[in-house]
Amino acid sequence: MTRDWWKHLILILGALVVIAPFYMMLSYSLKSPGEIDRGEGGFFGRQEMMIDERCVALRDPNRDEVASAAKRFPGLTDREIRDALITEAEADCAMRPAVFNYTMAFTEAPLLRYLLNGVIVTVSIFVIQVLVALPAAYALAKLRFWGREAVFSLVLFCLLIPVHAIALPLYIMLAKLGLTNTYAALVVPWTISVFGIFLMRQFFMTVPDDLIDAARMDGMTEFSIVWRVMLPTAVPALLAFAIFSVVAHWNDYFWPRIVVTGSRELFTPPLGLREFKGDGDGSFFGPMMATATVIVCPLIVAFLLAQKRFIEGITLSGMK
Amino acid sequence: MADLHIDGVVKSFGETQVLKGISLDIRHGEFIALVGPSGCGKSTLLRIIAGLESQSAGDIVIAGRSVAGVRAADRNLSMVFQSYALYPHLSVADNIAVPLRMRTMGAVQRLPLVGRWMPGAAERNREIDAEVRKAASTLEIETLLDRKPGQLSGGQRQRVALGRALVRDPAAFLLDEPLSNLDAKLRVQTRGEIAELHRRLGATFIYVTHDQVEAMTMSSRIAVMMEGQILQCDAPDLVYEDPEDIRVAEFIGSPKINILPAELNGGSLRVLDRDIARLTRVADQPGIRLGLRPEALRLSGADSVLTGVVAHHENLGSEVFAQIEVPGLSERVVLRADPSARRRLGLGATVGLDFDIGDALLFDTSGKRLRPVIEAARAAHQVA
Ligand SMILES: Nc1ncnc2c1ncn2[C@@H]1O[C@H](COP(=O)(O)OP(=O)(O)OP(=O)(O)O)[C@@H](O)[C@H]1O
Ligand SMILES: [Mg+2]
Repeated sequence: MTRDWWKHLILILGALVVIAPFYMMLSYSLKSPGEIDRGEGGFFGRQEMMIDERCVALRDPNRDEVASAAKRFPGLTDREIRDALITEAEADCAMRPAVFNYTMAFTEAPLLRYLLNGVIVTVSIFVIQVLVALPAAYALAKLRFWGREAVFSLVLFCLLIPVHAIALPLYIMLAKLGLTNTYAALVVPWTISVFGIFLMRQFFMTVPDDLIDAARMDGMTEFSIVWRVMLPTAVPALLAFAIFSVVAHWNDYFWPRIVVTGSRELFTPPLGLREFKGDGDGSFFGPMMATATVIVCPLIVAFLLAQKRFIEGITLSGMK
Repeated sequence: MADLHIDGVVKSFGETQVLKGISLDIRHGEFIALVGPSGCGKSTLLRIIAGLESQSAGDIVIAGRSVAGVRAADRNLSMVFQSYALYPHLSVADNIAVPLRMRTMGAVQRLPLVGRWMPGAAERNREIDAEVRKAASTLEIETLLDRKPGQLSGGQRQRVALGRALVRDPAAFLLDEPLSNLDAKLRVQTRGEIAELHRRLGATFIYVTHDQVEAMTMSSRIAVMMEGQILQCDAPDLVYEDPEDIRVAEFIGSPKINILPAELNGGSLRVLDRDIARLTRVADQPGIRLGLRPEALRLSGADSVLTGVVAHHENLGSEVFAQIEVPGLSERVVLRADPSARRRLGLGATVGLDFDIGDALLFDTSGKRLRPVIEAARAAHQVA
C-alpha cells in the first residue's frame, strides 16, 4: 500500500488534469460576471445579489409610466419618481449569480428544445445503428457465404476513414437531396456504424455455434435468431457500443454545425453553446458555462445510473 | 411411423473426405447408438441428418420423403447438443417452451409484450405451459423451472436440454454425446433415464457416443463407425460376439480383445509355432490374426498354447484381470479370471493359458472376419 504511493500520486495528478476543465465549467456557471473577470470568489463565488443590467434596461420607465406612478409617490417631482421606479426595477431584477446564469441559459436560448433534439437524434442514430449492425454482424460472424472475408475486410477498411475527410461529399449529397436542415441530415449519415458492426461481429464470434444450431432445430428462422438469441446474449456488448455511440453523437458539434444552418428548431445541445458566443466582453461566460453544465448532465446522470453495467460492457469489449 | 434412411452419404471438407459413403436404415422406434473413436465423423453425420450441414453426395429420407434442401427447422427432428446449447437469457421453463412456441404460434402471437393479447395466444400459452410442466416432471426438474441455465449444475442443464428436445413429438431424436459432461454416477443414472424414456415414448433415437458402455447398455442396435465408414450395425451382443471387422472387435469390449498373430498353412492354424486346429473352406494365408476376448482364456497347466509371466493384475472384487507377458507376443495378453484364481496370479508367477478354438475370432490380413469350418480342434491340445 505505502510502497505504491507514487502510483496513486500519478493517478491523482492525472485525475486533476482531467477534472480541471469541469471544475472551471461548474464554477463559472455559479459566479457573477465580475468574479469571473477578476478570477476571484473561489468555487461558489460570493453569491452576492447582482443586478441584471438588461432586465433593468427593459423596465426603463417612459413618460406615461412616470405619470401613472405619480399617485403612489405624492409630493415628488417627476425626476424623483423616475429614480424611485428605477430603484424598484433594480430590486426586482436583482438575483443571485447562480440563479442568473441558469435562468439565462434556459430563457435566452430554447435549451429544453435543444435537449429534446439531442435525445431524438442520438436515440434514432443508436436504434438504427443497432438495427443495421446486428444482422450484418451476425452474417459476418456466423453465416458462410461467398465473399464473406472480402466484406469483412471492407468493414475493417471503413474503420480507418475519418469522418472529417468525407464530411464535404456527404454534405453535398445531402444538399442535392434537399435534406440539409432536417433531422434526417443529422441522423442518416451515422446510421451504418462500421465500428458497431465490427464490435458486434467480434462478440458474436464468441457465441457458440451449437446455440445457433439449437435455435435452428427449435424452428427459428435466421431473422428470429438475430433478434431472439443473439440480441439478448449481446446486451453487454451492446451497452459498450451504446456508450461510444451516444456519447459521440450527443457531444458532436462538428456535424450539426455543418448541416443545420438556418433554424434554431433543429439545434442540438452543443450548438446551444453558440448562443452565448460573440459577446466579446465576456459577460456571458456564466450563462454559457451553465448551458454546458446542463448539456453534460444527462450523460453523467445516465452513467451514474448504469455505472455497473457500463463498466461490465467496456471491460468485456476489451477482453473479447 | 417415421423410418429414416441414410443413403450413401458422403461429406468432404475441402480436400478431406470425412464421411465416405454412409448407408443405414433405421426403423421407427429403434435406438441406434453411433459409436466410434474421436474424429471419425459421428457429429458430422448427425448434423447432416439434422440438416445443419449439407452432404456432398447421398440422400437422407425421412418417412419416405427425401429431405434434400429442407431446412433444419422443417425436418421435424429434435437434437440434444454435446454442449447443451441452452439459451442463457431464458429461464428453464422458457427454454423448454421455445420449440413449442416457434412451431405452434404465429409470428404476431410471439411478439414480445403485445403478443399475449393476440387472439388465441392466451389459450396456446396455457397449453404450452402444461406441456412444459409435463416434460419437466418426466425429467424431475419442476423445481428448477424459474432458474436461468447459469444457475444450474451440469447434470441439471443436461436434463433441461433433454426436456427441450422431448417436449415435441418429432420424427426422431438426435443426441450428440449428451452425457459426456456428467460425472460417472450421474452418467449411469441418466443413462437409465434415457433408456426408460425411449421405451416409454417408443420414438426413434440416434445416440452418438464414444463410450461403448453407453452403447452396449442402451441401444437396440450399435453402428460402429470408423474413419468415415460404418463397419457394422448390429444388436449389441452380436457386435460383441460376432464382429465383422477386427477394428470393431478391438473397439468394442473392455478390456480390449487380445489379438494374436497366426498363420494358416495347408488348412492348419498355427499360433506361436504350434498347430492349434484344422480349418476347411478357407484359403491358406499368412498374417491372419486371432482375436480372443479376456473371458475366452482360462488358466491351465504347463503345456499350454500360451505361457507367460503375470506382469500386472487388477482385482475388481467380482473378477480379476491379469496382464500376462507372453514371450513372442508384442502385447500383453489380458485374462479375465474368477477371484478364486487370485492366488495363482501373483505378480511374476508363470501361468499357462488355454482357450477353445470355437471362442476365437479369426481375421484375415485386411482385418475382415474369417468364418472357417473347424474340423479338428487342436492337434497339440491334450491338456485340458
Ligand atoms: N467445419 C469443418 N471443417 C473442416 N473439417 C471438419 C469440420 N467439421 C468437422 N471436421 C473434421 O471432420 C472430422 C469428423 O468430425 P466430427 O466432429 O464428426 O467427429 P466426431 O466423430 O463427432 O468426434 P468426437 O467424438 O470427438 O466428437 C474431424 O476430423 C474434423 O476435424
Ligand atoms: Mg462429436
